Amino acid sequence: MVAADLSVILPEILLSVFAMAALLAGVYGGKDRWAPMLVWAASAAMLLIAAFIGLRGAPGAVAFGGMFVDDAFSRFAKIVVLVSAAAVLAMSQDYMQRRGILRFEYPILIVLAAVGMMMMVSAGDLMALYMGLELQSLALYVVASLRRDSAKSTEAGLKYFVLGALSSGLLLYGASLVYGYTGTTLFSGIVQVAGQGDISLGLLFGLVFVIAGLAFKVSAVPFHMWTPDVYEGAPTPVTAFFATAPKVAAMALFARVLHDAFGGAVRDWSQVIALLSVLSMFLGAIAAIGQTNIKRLMAYSSIAHMGYALIGLAAGTALGVQALLVYMAIYVTMNVGTFAFILMMERDGQPVTDINALRMYSRREPARALAMLILLFSLAGVPPMLGFFAKLAVWQAGLDAGLVWLVVASAVASAIGAFYYLRIVFYMYFGEEDGDEVETNTSPVLYAFLMGSAAIMVLGIANMFGVDQAAAAAAAVLVN
Amino acid sequence: MEEMLREYLPILVFLAVAIGLGLVLILAAVVLAVRNPDPEKVSAYECGFNAFDDARMKFDVRFYLVSILFIIFDLEIAFLFPWAVSFRDLSDAAFWSMMVFLGVLTVGFAYEWKKGALEWE
Amino acid sequence: MESIILFAPLVGALLCGFGWKIMGETAAMWVATGLLFLSAILSWVVFLTFDPTAHAGGHYTVSILRWIESGTLSTDWAIRMDRLTAIMLIVITTVSALVHLYSFGYMAHDDNWREGEVYRPRFFAYLSFFTFAMLMLVTADNLVQMFFGWEGVGVASYLLIGFYYRKPSANAAAIKAFVVNRVGDFGFALGIFALFFLVDSVNFADVFAAASTLAETQLTFLWTSWNAAELIAFLLFIGAMGKSAQLILHTWLPDAMEGPTPVSALIHAATMVTAGVFLVCRMSPIMEFAPHATAFITVLGATTAFFAATVGLVQTDIKRVIAYSTCSQLGYMFVAAGVGLYSVAMFHLFTHAFFKAMLFLGAGSVIHAMHHEQDMTNYGGLRKKIPYTFWAMMIGTLAITGVGIPLTGWIGFAGFASKDAVIEGAYAGTQGGYAFWLLVIAALFTSFYSWRLMFLTFFGEARGDRHTHEHAHESPMTMLIPLGVLALGATFAGAIWYSSFFGKTNEVAKFFGTHYATPGTEEAAAFAAANPKASELKYAFDGAPGEGGIYVAPDNHILHEAHYVPTWVKLSPFVAMLLGLGIAIWFYLINPSLPGRLAENQRPLYLFLKNKWYFDELYDAIFVKPAIGIGRVFWRKGDGNVIDGAINGVAMGIVPFFTRLAGRAQSGYIFTYAFWMVVGIAVLITWMSIGGGAE
Repeated sequence: MVAADLSVILPEILLSVFAMAALLAGVYGGKDRWAPMLVWAASAAMLLIAAFIGLRGAPGAVAFGGMFVDDAFSRFAKIVVLVSAAAVLAMSQDYMQRRGILRFEYPILIVLAAVGMMMMVSAGDLMALYMGLELQSLALYVVASLRRDSAKSTEAGLKYFVLGALSSGLLLYGASLVYGYTGTTLFSGIVQVAGQGDISLGLLFGLVFVIAGLAFKVSAVPFHMWTPDVYEGAPTPVTAFFATAPKVAAMALFARVLHDAFGGAVRDWSQVIALLSVLSMFLGAIAAIGQTNIKRLMAYSSIAHMGYALIGLAAGTALGVQALLVYMAIYVTMNVGTFAFILMMERDGQPVTDINALRMYSRREPARALAMLILLFSLAGVPPMLGFFAKLAVWQAGLDAGLVWLVVASAVASAIGAFYYLRIVFYMYFGEEDGDEVETNTSPVLYAFLMGSAAIMVLGIANMFGVDQAAAAAAAVLVN
Repeated sequence: MEEMLREYLPILVFLAVAIGLGLVLILAAVVLAVRNPDPEKVSAYECGFNAFDDARMKFDVRFYLVSILFIIFDLEIAFLFPWAVSFRDLSDAAFWSMMVFLGVLTVGFAYEWKKGALEWE
Repeated sequence: MESIILFAPLVGALLCGFGWKIMGETAAMWVATGLLFLSAILSWVVFLTFDPTAHAGGHYTVSILRWIESGTLSTDWAIRMDRLTAIMLIVITTVSALVHLYSFGYMAHDDNWREGEVYRPRFFAYLSFFTFAMLMLVTADNLVQMFFGWEGVGVASYLLIGFYYRKPSANAAAIKAFVVNRVGDFGFALGIFALFFLVDSVNFADVFAAASTLAETQLTFLWTSWNAAELIAFLLFIGAMGKSAQLILHTWLPDAMEGPTPVSALIHAATMVTAGVFLVCRMSPIMEFAPHATAFITVLGATTAFFAATVGLVQTDIKRVIAYSTCSQLGYMFVAAGVGLYSVAMFHLFTHAFFKAMLFLGAGSVIHAMHHEQDMTNYGGLRKKIPYTFWAMMIGTLAITGVGIPLTGWIGFAGFASKDAVIEGAYAGTQGGYAFWLLVIAALFTSFYSWRLMFLTFFGEARGDRHTHEHAHESPMTMLIPLGVLALGATFAGAIWYSSFFGKTNEVAKFFGTHYATPGTEEAAAFAAANPKASELKYAFDGAPGEGGIYVAPDNHILHEAHYVPTWVKLSPFVAMLLGLGIAIWFYLINPSLPGRLAENQRPLYLFLKNKWYFDELYDAIFVKPAIGIGRVFWRKGDGNVIDGAINGVAMGIVPFFTRLAGRAQSGYIFTYAFWMVVGIAVLITWMSIGGGAE
């Protein structure tokens, strides 16, 4: 029995053991001198685990009495999480080392966060959910303030921690309400109570609090306020990490809770999600226009993108979850490429985040500018790029579920949002040079990620590399 | 409703006993104790700081480090206690679970020790 | 072989248009020309060896590739080879090859271009591209492919009319041609839609097979019920009207003369403008079931022939005279097609291609000699200066005016055989009605303006700039050889193929590859009684729709009847021609001051004709001005104020306002953030409690 449970959770165990072994090796071994090696090792370990998850036997097992679920859905999310975390980690090594902030704890914290995320997406119980969420969050609080000598970085970490604690409180309060009114913390038990016709007001309160707690993690409006400050303050590789893997995990968890635990009350939460979605899209689009710091801009961009992804969730259908997963996979790929570019931006060895520094960038670096152009078009959802198909998927799901107003609103929001992406393109291709131009870091790793991501945005339109089939299989498990 | 309240009766009894005992002890102190006040004794206790002062002051982060480490081990004990009490009836799985837990804790402890978090200077 | 004919011009166009920088200018032009000559030679081989009886249904299909597969719409790109296609192939490729050759001389120097500008490969590429598109049109196996070619020639025509893109008038003419054609194309497209709607196919084979069913189908269009065959025939004819410059949609053709003269010869005389006639003949299986639509075609064709001839009387620009002449001759062809004599329509198309191309090329030669002077009032006495051109033009004029030995039918210049056939057909088809008389009068006018052109240009005193006249010189051989070849055609084409196009029913049927049969005795007897001179009705068309090149209904005996019209009818075009010649001699050789005085005396009539019946002014007032007015309103008010205003208002007013608001909300204080979270959850809770969630 225990052996069976342990074999289900084997990837998480392996990764945790790796993290602890690396911690001891790091602290008793070469300390920060080993950090670069640990970064690569952690990246490789996460990739290996991702491959292991993808290739091991048929999904569909539950462990620990239903608290841990290993199905196609969790596997899809885990692979996306692990691959994106590995990618961001690989991108960060050069940047952090040259700025002297590469500590050996960094890759270990990332790995631990990844374990937390894996736990989140596999949660089949409110306690397992909270455990994964906190493991992830605690690791993230630390990496946000990794740069201890920088006021902004410390501030970012602290803000994130305090607000995260508040959101955890909301979530826990909601969870206790749910437990109080259903008598169980197991999703499979909750769904039996919540699925019987009208749900009680207390349970509804619990649901709303849980949604609020999770909305904080995906930075949906109005629980988004931490995002721009943390994105700006954290070191750029950490920002890149924030914008990718945790978003996927939180979104998957969101879908997991709402469908697995509250699958019978779709109409109750669908309108809440739709509201969060529309607010996020518009705030993300409108507030980003005023930004000149590309990291803040990407923060608002991610808020808006979460809004689009939430359309898939608001649809409340299998098609919607499929669209959500496809959207997140594409979103993560775009962001990896975009942050690879942001990591390259520097002047005299110092990072640059002002988009004005990109004026006439295309003249100096035509290939990189073109790749960035493709990525920005994709982020904006301009048709031939993959980003458009991500939006198309959620729109189809939204229309299918009868959320016409939401789809129309999101089309309007994406038109507004296109402005700030295209403004960067404008600067790169048409802006006037004013002498403060950005230089480019020539790290081959970053270059490869930028180009690869841009290439995927163009080539992926053929069949999305099969991601949509996998997402369909994953969605079918969750919604039935 | 009544049913539910009846289930909470023992708690009410506990509360009454706790309050009663507390009152008895305080009153006993008033009645029996020797009183010899001085300023240090009568001021409110706060670990290492003045109780009433500007909140925006510099303090040594080591206080917090120690307190956080203390809490971890404090909770570990709280966790170990019921386990130890029911040790005879535990399955192998329960035994090894605690061992793993302690192992993880030990890794953390080893890390903080090597990092020097336990040294005041 | 058919594929080579079709694709050689395309290859030529691509090589010449894109490859001239590599090959060099002259080589590129020779490549295009050489490929066109290859295409022309193969076309003649195909035409002469084509034997309809060797193929089932009198035609065969060469499949090139699968083209469109969408639902039930399935069209292949294929070549339909039948007699009709074969005729068009030789007309197009021959004239085009000669025009390519001619252009070497004509386009050698051009004042419209600056020193060092390369324009000739572009010109040749356009010409070759046009030829390809035209071949696509005539070889089409289905209506969509035909439409592709139809639009392709439209594009080529647009590019070539506007070839001198620095001239505003050329650009305006190109746009006018394109827009006016769009009106016709809309009708054509509607016709195709209607056919697809009813037949569920656009392939000729299916459409023709369904022709008799269409005649019994009613179709609602514009809130009215129509006979399907009539409606389709009418819509298709609207397309033909646009392309062939028939009345109402004719205004673009004279303006199209802004293009270089070889273009006028190729596109606006010999080939593209005859596409409408070709379309009507190609769709003969439908036309035969649409008596009202064909009656309309007859009337409109006759009116156009008359109208254009009257306008041609007073024009002084040499190219415009010929342009109106073309317009008029196209009217003749439509009359023939309208009365059911598709073979005669094709006959006139065929001969007209030769003599009209020659007239244009001859005119080009004159213009070339006179340093791009086009006004005939500045010519005169050029006979001696440019003798070869003179003789070529003379042959062309003899052909167009229809000189021949009367009553023999075929002994004469090409136009004699075909035009007389049209007029006799018009008499037989309308029982001596409106169309017949208009055509005879038009023949008189044709003769007059053609000879007027000759006399003004080549006879009398030299007028205009003396310097120009002194330097008038004969054109180079590259321009004279095409004239010579075309002269052969203009002289002999009518006589050689007379029996094939306008012979006895069995000859024509055999030529076009459709069946013929001896009809029942009753019908033969009735016909013999009505036409005493006709010995007997030996044969009648008996083919199925879609068989061979053209379809003539079994009860259509116009071809037979046309051979037995009264003698005065047969003589009438000849007399008209003599009259026209006589008046022209009197006006321009004997008494040259007379035309001026006549114009003074009859000033309103003169101005009416000179201004082309005020069609352009009318259209300008009815369509162009209001359209510009509406456009201006939409642009200034609609686009400028409403749309731009709204977008700018949102983009520059409302959105930045919210952006500032969002920026202010992002205070940086943690309590603000927490406050908003709490507000958020409070709102959600309130909403859910009041809204009651699922209730």
